[in-house]
Amino acid sequence: MEAEEEPPAGRRLLSPAELLAARTRDHKIPQRSLGQKDFIPDGSEEQESKLHQCRKEHWQLLEEERVVRLGSLVKAEWKPQESIVELKSPAGKFWHTMGFAQHGKQCLLPEEALYLLECGSLQLFYKDLPLSVQEAYENLLSPKSVSLLKYQVYSHLKRLGYIVLRFHFSTIPTPYERQLNLDSHYQSTERGGHKRRRSSSPRLQDKKPKPSEKSQEWSPKKAKIHHGNSSPPALDGSPKARIKASDAKTENIELVPSSSVTKECSELPTCVQDYKETRSKTVGESHNDVCASRWNFTSIDFPNMGADYPQVFLPEPDKRLLPENITARAIDASPWCRRLNQKHERLTRKEQEQLKWESRYKRSINEDVEVRRCTTWQEYKALLRERSGLADLCTQPVTPLVKPNQGLSTADILQQINVFQPSHLLEEAFQLQNHSSQLKIDFDVYHADEASIFKKNDPGKPYVRMCVQRFDEQVPSLKVVKQLSYQSGDVPVVFALVDNGNIAFFSFKEFKLPTDVYP
Amino acid sequence: MIRIYTLEGKAFVWNYTDVRRIREEHRIVGVLVGALPRKPRQNVRLGLPLELLPEEARLLLEKGLATLVKNPTSQSLGDDRSQDPLFPGKVAAYEKELEENYQEQLRLSAEQRKIVLDSLADRIAQGRAKKWQQKGEGGDPLVQPVESGSSFVLPRESMMIQLPTEQTQRTEEEEVNWHVASQLWPYAGQENHEMRYCIFRDLWERGYYVTTGSKFGGDFLIYPGDPMRFHAHYIALCFSKDAPISLCDIISAGRLGTNVKKTVLLCSVDQGGTIAYTSLQWSGMQ
Repeated sequence: MEAEEEPPAGRRLLSPAELLAARTRDHKIPQRSLGQKDFIPDGSEEQESKLHQCRKEHWQLLEEERVVRLGSLVKAEWKPQESIVELKSPAGKFWHTMGFAQHGKQCLLPEEALYLLECGSLQLFYKDLPLSVQEAYENLLSPKSVSLLKYQVYSHLKRLGYIVLRFHFSTIPTPYERQLNLDSHYQSTERGGHKRRRSSSPRLQDKKPKPSEKSQEWSPKKAKIHHGNSSPPALDGSPKARIKASDAKTENIELVPSSSVTKECSELPTCVQDYKETRSKTVGESHNDVCASRWNFTSIDFPNMGADYPQVFLPEPDKRLLPENITARAIDASPWCRRLNQKHERLTRKEQEQLKWESRYKRSINEDVEVRRCTTWQEYKALLRERSGLADLCTQPVTPLVKPNQGLSTADILQQINVFQPSHLLEEAFQLQNHSSQLKIDFDVYHADEASIFKKNDPGKPYVRMCVQRFDEQVPSLKVVKQLSYQSGDVPVVFALVDNGNIAFFSFKEFKLPTDVYP
Repeated sequence: MIRIYTLEGKAFVWNYTDVRRIREEHRIVGVLVGALPRKPRQNVRLGLPLELLPEEARLLLEKGLATLVKNPTSQSLGDDRSQDPLFPGKVAAYEKELEENYQEQLRLSAEQRKIVLDSLADRIAQGRAKKWQQKGEGGDPLVQPVESGSSFVLPRESMMIQLPTEQTQRTEEEEVNWHVASQLWPYAGQENHEMRYCIFRDLWERGYYVTTGSKFGGDFLIYPGDPMRFHAHYIALCFSKDAPISLCDIISAGRLGTNVKKTVLLCSVDQGGTIAYTSLQWSGMQ
């Protein structure tokens, strides 16, 4: 090949004059203003000139090389052994969303360095010589650290402005943590650490650390070890299991049967503290359910401040509950109450109909004197059996699908006689975790507009998680989709398909067929 | 000779002139996948490198227009600097070149500045004279000459640096044999690739521009002219000759083709190597 001997056309190093000229280069992309594409080439001059113009502009753009002021370049060195890039001069603005520190040095992952090189923010050296973009592609990308496909997806998303981090297992709560509902606590304490809502006075907190607080103190690592050693109880979505789980967490509850709640809660300070605690937490429903039972409302006086209640006298509050420098007194609130609720609630027609319907068919169970007489669930259930007169029917091997006392609404009955229960994406996904699958989550993607508050060491919950796939790969099976969504928690998983440099995204969404039953 | 570089089994062209020739002379389009130097943070217009379909690359190779090469990576070379006897020389040469470049840029910008100053010399002199007059001193304004270009300094950090796109150093390129399947080029002999390639080549030889068709759910899109200025006419779907096609696939393909105003072509290769094209059309029966 003789042609190779002469300096190949286009192995282009710019001359100093060209470099200087690049300072005044246009920074806008010309808009294509040649109108609609044509249907078929007709050999006309007009078409020819349009194509010529189009191509000219295209080649002009492509021919441009990256030329940057030395002062605005960050220097970095490629370390192939560790597959990282070490910065040799202080990082630029990109450090906010990229990079990490290792042994006191600022480092970048290969994909980050390559992207910054492509953006003209970084000069990459290897063996003291600068790398071209081509050499950087060929050296930095490898299936071991970050593959070409992953880089193509990464740079595509970065160019769109997203913040993209590699996905790490350690950033998601383990099934055990999730089961204990730890993740929300963990997140709320971790993320809003400095602006935690006002908690009760330190004196009270010192006095008696609550079990739920203990759980907050658990580092997620500890919990993980825990998880690794003992196989956690199977997680299933049924409310029973969830309550059990939260029972385990707030162990007090198990020890305190409902009858003795009064006694415990008569210690007012504890109750109030509990109340504040639950308030300061993110709302976990199961948790709240359990906690509700801890307060004996007969011993806590909640005054009725409604307009319909003529006499409201608020006694002096317990001094123990007040900060030292605050004084309080008893007050007659009735004049104030009278000014409340002056406006009549205006209902829409639909709401009125709903109310009418409710008053006809629904009634409060507490209006039933016999029911109120029951002191335990057992008594109540016995009462129900007695009333339904189905006691004998229910003891037979074959029982009716719907019992009269169950059928509260059409929807309930429909639910009762359903043969196939709808399944959720995350159902039973836990059991699938042990099976290794080819597909893994590759990136956490964060919204661009969060950039101002984004912290790379504490990124919080991503917008989506990204799986990179080849175009000729199969669509992931339901099993894989379940596994990945389980790993991802409540963050949607998006699949990125790379077809010869073209990137397409798709995702699976849970869909619930609507049941057209009223109500 | 056009150089096609393989990376993880994909084909890339890095040289601007090569990319241009591929399109203008050989009607091969490819896909640009790099960031555009002028405006890197957008996806509408992309820059080098150009990624080629395996079929596109093979056509160029088979016609003897290109060679398939692979650059050694830093991992395979190892990081041991002493292994490379030319290494100290290379670095010294680079540093010398950089310094020369800086001096030249310094000279050029001083020159440019001088030209600017000269063109403004009259105005500067006027301004000075005015100033002197205002101060009310009778001194001669011409005592201080306008000549300041010689003391001009270009700060080092203002030097312009090129971040080259294409490789700058000569390396021991390894030529890849594309006739045999290997890790670098896994396509040769693959049934699907052979079929797609036959169809691709046939369409190309008929004078069409053929690009990847994944965005329309097909194998190829077929353009009557440069895709820059013309719409695609056909969506090609490649089927092996004896493979059964489900009716559902035909309906969805036909439906899609109609909706995007393109004709769906079912393409298969005969034993003799001739290509059979079948087009789909909705027919209304009333």
